[in-house]
Formats: sequence, structure tokens, C-alpha cells
Amino acid sequence: MDLVKILLVTILVNNIILMRFIALCSYIGMTNDVGQSIGMGFAVTFVTVMATAATWPLYHFVLAPLHLEFLQILVFILVIASLVQLVEFYLKKNIPGLYAAMGIYLPLITTNCAILAVTFENISYNYTFIQSIVYAVGVSLGYLLAMILLAGVRSRMRTSPVPKFLQGTPILFIATSLIGMAFMGFSGLIK
Amino acid sequence: MKSLWKVFKQGIIFENPLLMLMIGLCSALAVTSNVSNGIGMGLAMTFVLLFSEIFISLFRKLIPNSVRMPIFLIIIGAFTTIVDLVMKAYFPELSKSMGVFIPLIVVNCIIMGRVEAFAYKQKVLPAIFDSFGMGLGYTWVLIGIAAFRELLGNGTLAGAQVMPASYQPILFFILPPGGFLVFGLFIAFNIWLKGRMRKSAAAKENA
Amino acid sequence: MKGNFRLGLVLAIFAAIGCASLAVVYSITESAIAAQSQKALNASLQEIFPDAASFEDITSSVSSNVQGVKFEQAFLVKSAQALLGVAVKATGSSYGGPAKLLIGVALNRSIAGVRVLELSDTAGLGMNAKNAAYYVKKAEKITFPGQFAGKFLTDPFEVKKDVVAITASTITSRSLTVIIKAAADAAATWLETSTTTAAQTEQAAPASGAADTTGGK
Repeated sequence: MDLVKILLVTILVNNIILMRFIALCSYIGMTNDVGQSIGMGFAVTFVTVMATAATWPLYHFVLAPLHLEFLQILVFILVIASLVQLVEFYLKKNIPGLYAAMGIYLPLITTNCAILAVTFENISYNYTFIQSIVYAVGVSLGYLLAMILLAGVRSRMRTSPVPKFLQGTPILFIATSLIGMAFMGFSGLIK
Repeated sequence: MKSLWKVFKQGIIFENPLLMLMIGLCSALAVTSNVSNGIGMGLAMTFVLLFSEIFISLFRKLIPNSVRMPIFLIIIGAFTTIVDLVMKAYFPELSKSMGVFIPLIVVNCIIMGRVEAFAYKQKVLPAIFDSFGMGLGYTWVLIGIAAFRELLGNGTLAGAQVMPASYQPILFFILPPGGFLVFGLFIAFNIWLKGRMRKSAAAKENA
Repeated sequence: MKGNFRLGLVLAIFAAIGCASLAVVYSITESAIAAQSQKALNASLQEIFPDAASFEDITSSVSSNVQGVKFEQAFLVKSAQALLGVAVKATGSSYGGPAKLLIGVALNRSIAGVRVLELSDTAGLGMNAKNAAYYVKKAEKITFPGQFAGKFLTDPFEVKKDVVAITASTITSRSLTVIIKAAADAAATWLETSTTTAAQTEQAAPASGAADTTGGK
């Protein structure tokens, strides 16, 4: 799969939130306003790319040759958790401005399904290193897109008459369903 | 004993992890396009939750507070890997159809959340009841959504043809947007149910 | 510093216990896992070549020239008396992830059969390639992989013209067709270059006894 195709598929055709149901917790919790979604989206992009850069070589040069593939779950999640901790420390100490903007999202990202899913899929799809990085970027941008869309919809819904039994989270999921239906139209993009 | 029963009940409706607490959603919607996957995921998650809670509760005095997160991840990750290996060995079809969602159990917010909020601070017995309650609450919602989606979207239930042959399956329900719609309606239903139960409990007290 | 050292030690101990227990579970399940995939492969091989009695591994001599399609295994299929054909287990990318197919090519350069081993596309759409109850030709009850049986390699393989696509799943249909054609071509090429020598050794004619690097062990 060439690189542009990977990007198109991950952002639009097979959007990680709208088409694959991954990273929903943060999707519901962090879309209260557009600024929050953007912050979360960028934090996820950053951590996902770094996690890919760390886990891909770890699997291909350490786990696989030593036939330790069964440790993949354990190793990957610990690498991601440590990475997030390190990034948090570094930002706090050296770039306090960025930490103030983005740092609060970092602890939430450790358990973000999207990151672990991407690192696993890089391996199971047999991607090369470059393809993995592109895949990571694509998925994160798709995530960012979906988050911004829902944040926008939510701010509009605050002033709309929602039926009582749908108020709160139910209407959010129905809105997501509609956005998802629109995205299904993208599947014709790939030849 | 009564308090243990209360702990168990919480997870099923009032503090249902999926519908009320809004955690553990990722795996929930993706595996509910048919009932077999739903049951499989429910059982797998409950297994990991149960043993993680047991072990973390057992070792809670030995786990230093500052490194508790990595240790939780090690324990949860170990049990997730065990589930993954066992499924690959004895239930290969189910394992393949659930794909990446089995490893994703390790970051399932329900397990992390319960372990941090409950098992780390409680004794083993309450932890066991809590995990069963949460596990059951998770599983019944999964089966409910899956049954709905599979029945309307495919005419079958767990692979067995239920709808009459003339029924034209509504593909929408198996596709992702359909999943979101069904889930939204499920939450609405649960909110209504909770309201009804509260009202009848209050009426009983006033009577 | 001593406090940190102690923390690190606790962490390391937990990690060690975790890895050790996983190693134990892995060693128990390892053989079962390998057996499962072997069972699935054997079942599919037998379906494509019902008279097959033995499968000789020729993986090293069959390789893919098509980008994105890899051959995991290749077998020379023989019945009790004769060569039947070649089977190739090929992987390539499909809409939702990698697809694994088993393609059998008979001696007359036609496809003996295709089986979808692994597929992770959209349920209800692309996944129907693996659904035994989904027919692309409803009247004759032919499934998507089933339509390739008997197709000659010299025939065109264009999706929606010669190959019937799965409804609303053109991408999956195209991806799988690419894999099938690549594997079938490679198998046919192997048969071309090796059948003469292999046939000679099969007919117990020891005469030339020339070194055949392909069919032999």
C-alpha cells in the first residue's frame, strides 16, 4: 500500500473513531470544546508517532528474533506508559508553556486504545518502518478530525432542543452515528 | 454479606461501566456486530478483570504508591496475554474475528479504573464481588447490543437463523454508524430504567 | 536514592514474575496454537485437492514478483500415483487488513480452487469473501472464492468484468483477485519449469537422474 493511500484510508475511509470504534472514551470525555479536542488530538499524534518509533524496532529487532512475541502486549504497554511519563517530565521541566497547553492530556493518553492499536497493527500488517510512521500519523489525524467534528456538533447542541430521554450521552452517540454515515461516503475514494 | 451483595449489584445497572460510567467503550462497540463475539469479549474482559482485581488486592500492601501504575499494567497485561494465548490455542476463529481487540483489553478503562479505585484499596472478597458485578454489567450490555445488531442486521442470533427467510437484513445495523445508534438508544433506555428504579425505591420508602 | 532503588527493584520483581508466568503459559499453549493453524491449512488443502495424499514443501522455490503479495508457504500436491498441482499460501493487503489465501493450481494451468484463510474486512461487506453462505452467482450458488475454480490463467482477471465482485466491496474483491492472480501465476511458472523433471522422477525412470533442485528434498 503506498503512503498516500495509507493516509487517505486512515483519515477518511477507515477513520479510527467513526469506523473502528477505537478511542471512544476520550472521544466522549474530551470533546467539550474545540480547543480541548485539538489539544488532545495533537497530544495523541505526538505520542503515537513516538510510540511507533519505539515499538517497531523493539519488536523486529528484539522480540521476534528471540521468539518472545508473546511478551508483545506487556512490553508495548509498558513502553508506551514510560514514554508518556518521560515526555511529561521533559515538557514540565523544559517547555513549560507547551506543558501548560498539552500536559494535562498526557496521563490520559496512556490508556488510549488508539495508540496501542496502532502499535499492534504496524506489526500485524507487516508494515515497514516508514509505512508504520505514516500509518501512525494518518490514524492520529483521523482521530483529530473526528474529535473536532464532534466538539463542533456538541457546542451547537448546547442550544438545540434535544428530547429529554436523549439528553446527555445518548444524543452524542446518535450524532456520531450520523457523522459516521457521512464518512461512509468516502469509501469510494480508494480504487 | 449484604454489603458484598450491594457491591455486586452496583455494577449491573446503577454504576454500569458502559452505560453509566462511560468507560471501556472501545472494545464494547467493535465486537458487538454479532452475539458470539459479544459473549467472547464479555467473558475475556471479566476474566482479566477478576484476576487483576484479585492479585492487586492480594498484593496491595506490597505495591508502592508511586509505581503502582506500571505494576498494574504488568499484572493486567500478563492476564490479557494469557487470555490471548488461550484463545489462539483453543478458540482460533473467535480470536481471529476479534483481532486487535483482545490485546486492547489491557488498556480497557474499566479494568484500570476498577483496579485503581477499588481493588487497590479493598480486601480480596469485595474485590471479587466488584469484578463479577462490573463484568456482568459489561457482558449483559454487550450481549444486548449484539443481539439487536445481529438480529436486525443479519437475521441471525449467534449464527443461527432466527428471522424468517423473507426478512431482508438491514445492513446498517452491522456497520459502525448503526452500532453508534443502537448504543445511544441503549444508554437512553438505561437512564430511563435507572429513573424508574429510583422512583420505585423512593415510593417504597415513603409508603 | 535508596528509595528509588527499592521502587525500581519492586518493579523489576513484578516484571520478572509477570514474564515468567507468561513464558509458562506460552509453552503450554504453543503447540496447540501451531496445531490450529496447521489444521486449518490441511483442511483447506484437502478441499481444493480432494485426491491429495501428500504435500511436499517447495516454499523456497516459489517467490512473488508482485509488490505487496508474499508467499508464506508453497506445496507440491501429489496423490498416491501422480502430481496433482501446486498450492500456494499467499498474503497481501486488503481493505481492513492483511488477507491470507490458499490458491491451488492444477497441472493444466487452471485454478483448482481458492480458500480464504484469514480476512479482516468490514462485516457484511468485504467479509462476505469468507462467508460460505454468500453467493456472488446466486443461481449456481457460487461464492466469491469459488468462482475462480476452473479458471484458466490465460483468461483475463478483471474485477466486475470477468470476476464477479462482492456487492459494495470492490476494494476487497480487487485486493483478493490481485493476490489470487499473483499466486496462481507463480505456481504455474513453477510447474512450467519443474514438471518435466518432477514427472520424470515420479515415473520411477531413474535414467537421467539429473539433479533436480526443485521437486526433490
